[in-house]
Amino acid sequence: MTSPNSFLGGAQDRLLPASIPFRFFLTAAVFHVLAWITLFLAANQLAWYTGGPGRVLASLHLVTLGVFAMTAIGASYQLLPVVTRRPLLRDWPARLSFWLFLPGVLGLAWGMGAVSPLLMQGGAILVGAGLAVFGALTADNLRRAGSLPVVAAHGWGALAALVGFAGLGILLVWDMTGGFLANRATLALTHMVLASYGFMGLLVLGLGLVLIPMFALSRAAPKRLGWAQLALAGLALTAYFVGGISGAAPLRWLALLAGSMAIAVYFWTMRLVLAGRMRKRLGLSFLLIRASWGFLALSLGLGGLVLAGVGGPSLPALFGFTLIAGWLLTFLLGILQRILPFLASMHASGKSGLPPPLSSLTAEVPLRIHAVFHFAALVTCAGGILLDMTLLVQIGAALGVVGALAFLGFAVNVVLKLRLEQQTT
Amino acid sequence: MSFTRRTAELLHEDHQATIIVIEALDQLIAKARRKAPDVADPQVRKTLLSASTAIEDEISNHFAFEEEELFTRLEDMGDVGIGAHLRSEHAALLPLGQEVASGAREALQSGFSDSSWPPFRNAAAELIERMFSHIQKEEMALLPALEDLLDAETDMELSSAYAASHG
Repeated sequence: MTSPNSFLGGAQDRLLPASIPFRFFLTAAVFHVLAWITLFLAANQLAWYTGGPGRVLASLHLVTLGVFAMTAIGASYQLLPVVTRRPLLRDWPARLSFWLFLPGVLGLAWGMGAVSPLLMQGGAILVGAGLAVFGALTADNLRRAGSLPVVAAHGWGALAALVGFAGLGILLVWDMTGGFLANRATLALTHMVLASYGFMGLLVLGLGLVLIPMFALSRAAPKRLGWAQLALAGLALTAYFVGGISGAAPLRWLALLAGSMAIAVYFWTMRLVLAGRMRKRLGLSFLLIRASWGFLALSLGLGGLVLAGVGGPSLPALFGFTLIAGWLLTFLLGILQRILPFLASMHASGKSGLPPPLSSLTAEVPLRIHAVFHFAALVTCAGGILLDMTLLVQIGAALGVVGALAFLGFAVNVVLKLRLEQQTT
Repeated sequence: MSFTRRTAELLHEDHQATIIVIEALDQLIAKARRKAPDVADPQVRKTLLSASTAIEDEISNHFAFEEEELFTRLEDMGDVGIGAHLRSEHAALLPLGQEVASGAREALQSGFSDSSWPPFRNAAAELIERMFSHIQKEEMALLPALEDLLDAETDMELSSAYAASHG
């Protein structure tokens, strides 16, 4: 799936061979299915879940590492060089990171589900190594970036959060056998916050400054708003991290306040971008993206209730589900369904002949099926958590599996059509 | 997007103008679907009138400028890929733009028939799809690259010449 005459200014420079980003995206689509299946198997443990090994933790990491990080890595490898106008120096480390990360996620998730410390430790080492390669490549690209400093700064913030959550994650895995952490529950929550709001959140906020205006054909957001959201998010994450390490509760309230303000700035920025858009009909993907923003706001509200210690025993699980499945999963699937055919169209048009239209590389029906089942899964699972009803969670997870299979069908279809285009041109 | 180079800004303004026409055309097709629209409708006439002139004018000038002044400079710097890809998209867009413009002119004179509406609708739909994708690529990858490609003096020369060619 390489393209000898590809796109994006110094194409060999800035557009990676298609096989690199697409292997991450396709694998993410497979992990998406596995995550819902594992959640189905863990349905009876979800409502009261507050941490610890088992199938819920396995499902959580299948989605956070398998779907989110996998997508983020693939997207960063391809999009950062375009945004920063600085190519990756080498392709092979990107491939290496995949081959470290993939078995790592599988081993870690399997170890968590089977409560096998050895598998978890092996998986954690491989995941850490894959993330380290990704971090080094991305840091090198950001270091050379001369343009869009506000996006690059979000990238640096995401890398700092990556170091924090990966380090804590490895500590938590080893603590399962060593038992040396006195405040394990707090550190586990800090690990989750750094991974979701920190690493993924900063990538979403930073790349969103480029991707949302591009897809909506809008003017870029005012830079000062980008810097403001970054400063507030940085303050929030730092306060939460220090609060988590030191046990100082007021710092976590400061984090919630600053985080809420960062998200308010982000929403304002996105409102400006979409209000000034030239493309009026944004399609199904933006339905998911807009819905995900609602879940983001809801996650902060639920996070505040968890912090205050009010609400029922299922509130922590509902918070986690809203944050992970509601916000990040919905957002990434909305973005992925735009990026996959868009990237494919670039790679399909490198040889002689006219480039194919995007519609010939995509499939609307699986995306519609996915959207319906995804939202049905979110509502049903959330209801199951709130009512502590295993059957509802199982139904929700089963709906999620169907939606995820439809999305996988869409992703496979894009790749097959890309191959077909490349063979016929 | 926002750009510091005036050339990039002018091309961006072209994109905006083209999208207004394309959006109107998109809405016309979405509203009419299989049934041919009534060209006596003022909104339909306005859309067809702009499609009959603006698209062809915009893309022919715009494409020619990019191919002669920008892609060649990119290629001189070793950036062959971007020019090749965007040229191939231009090659797909130009005949489509001409076909839609010609169809719009004919419709303005004699209306749409059951036989003339489907080919017009299909050509317009493909033009709309390709144009949005093409503009997204240029906005993301070409116009920002002009910041590095053009120095201030060249930027002024090119932008002045381009503005003059637009009348």
